[in-house]
Amino acid sequence: MRSVSFVSSCLAALSSFAAAELNLSQPLLSRQVLPSTFKPPQVFKNANLVRTTNLDKAYARETINVIIENIDSKPQAEYYLPFDASLISKVGGFEVKDKKVPEKGNFKVEIVEYDTESSTEFYLIHLPTPLAPKEQQTLSITYSILTSLFPVPASIGQSDKQYVQYTFSAYTPSAYNTEKQKTKIKFPNSDIPDYTSIPADLNADNKADPQKQGSTFTYGPYNDIPAGAEQSVSVRFEFTKPLTHASLLERDLEVSHWGGNLASEERYWLANKGASLKNHFSRVEWQKTSYLSPPTSALKALNLPLHPGALNPYFTDDIGNVSTSRFRPGKKEALLELKPRYPIFGGWKYSFRVGWDANLSTYLRKLQGDSYILKVPFLEGPRIAEGIEYARVNLRVILPEGATNVKYSTSVPIIASTTTLHKTFMDTVGRTTLSLSAINVVDDLRDRQLIVTYDYPWTAGFRKPIVITLGVFAVFAVVYVVGSLDTSIGKKKTA
Amino acid sequence: MSSPLLDVWDAASASPYNPSVGKGVQFTLGFALLFTSLVLSTIFGLNRSFVTLSVLGIPASLAFGFGAVYMICAVGVYV
Repeated sequence: MRSVSFVSSCLAALSSFAAAELNLSQPLLSRQVLPSTFKPPQVFKNANLVRTTNLDKAYARETINVIIENIDSKPQAEYYLPFDASLISKVGGFEVKDKKVPEKGNFKVEIVEYDTESSTEFYLIHLPTPLAPKEQQTLSITYSILTSLFPVPASIGQSDKQYVQYTFSAYTPSAYNTEKQKTKIKFPNSDIPDYTSIPADLNADNKADPQKQGSTFTYGPYNDIPAGAEQSVSVRFEFTKPLTHASLLERDLEVSHWGGNLASEERYWLANKGASLKNHFSRVEWQKTSYLSPPTSALKALNLPLHPGALNPYFTDDIGNVSTSRFRPGKKEALLELKPRYPIFGGWKYSFRVGWDANLSTYLRKLQGDSYILKVPFLEGPRIAEGIEYARVNLRVILPEGATNVKYSTSVPIIASTTTLHKTFMDTVGRTTLSLSAINVVDDLRDRQLIVTYDYPWTAGFRKPIVITLGVFAVFAVVYVVGSLDTSIGKKKTA
Repeated sequence: MSSPLLDVWDAASASPYNPSVGKGVQFTLGFALLFTSLVLSTIFGLNRSFVTLSVLGIPASLAFGFGAVYMICAVGVYV
């Protein structure tokens, strides 16, 4: 984790040379490093805490609704949430809102860590207004944990059901004493062969945990759990769906003022983290069952809902064009249906690229003077019921050559941003490129927008045709000069 | 959730960006300009003088410059 912070601080230092622009959304670059003696000051208590873990998708989604109370004598605004160091690197989309006034927006959060080998790190939540003594506030904390489901058994037959295991603490990890808490786990179905039982004497209602209701389990309520207490619990449930994991997604958005076009290209490095095949892949068995389309742990198809008005899609991989795709343009959305060259079973990988065009008028508006504003989705990508997780997303917004004063704003937590130049067709100095990186992104963030403003003087727009014009005119001039040279041998004949 | 830039975006709803030459006419215009450039260059090639260099060479280079930009857009490389 420390190397990540080192790299990000290097990036930040470099970016200040490349562009000293004001960026309105604050990337999570800053990482507070605390002394080894640090312990969160015990100024809060959790009066009531309800954690809901949703295991519908290929990653765990957690929502913690907690009533916090200031037990100090002064107003307090810093609330810490602890995570194990191995876990915090997999946490994505961490957002905190006031449960009662969610429209006020997300609170500022940052990661803080010890300066030692300690295994605990914290998310520090800044309350927008300090909480007065004895006052209470309800926080709604949501986040996803990537690569949190592991297949057990690790290898299965081609048509077998897949079971996955999820391990967590029955007591919600907290830096403060928790008076009352419980954890609800929502499974995708009620086939849950194994789970950890907790004796009834720990439960506040003297019931043996977990309490089952169909596909929902409840651990708790538990009373007066001290800060830092954990009780490890595992559940194993049926999940005969692919665990689709993108180790990297590179997404390019290219703005063309001359062509009135927004070109999008996405390059995926996918892997299925599900159970591997016990035997060799049998094409006969696959083909026999494919007409019934039973649930399978293999990834068969990906549907990309594009915005209406998408044009000229393409789908290629290392070999070349992949012909097993369909494009259905529509008024509500333009659906791009992709089928990889082979079904992607557990442990298998597939990398490919897709791209499409769109009219720029939907995405770009003109402001006063020579300024423009661009609003694009931060993430598009496949929409599949079981979800898809991205370990890293590198987004590049390639603006026209000569664009300056680039500012951006997005609600996706990003770790690095730089403004560089990108050289491609017909460029002389290169196009201004805004590069943004985000880690641990899940497909729940599909609807998040990225807004970019930039200045683009009309003179900069004429750079391309003028450069070509000057080049061609130079050829004419050379032809004229060379043609008018007298290269004949001997005396000049006079008339 | 609102942010300052989102408000700017909403305020500019009346002025979407439209290029002066739409996608539909890029090929026609690019082809016409490049063809004009070819014709003018040919005439210049037949009669090279300082006068034709400025009278034919400048319009031919301008036509080639803008024609090339529209033609590369028309074939799908949006520059």
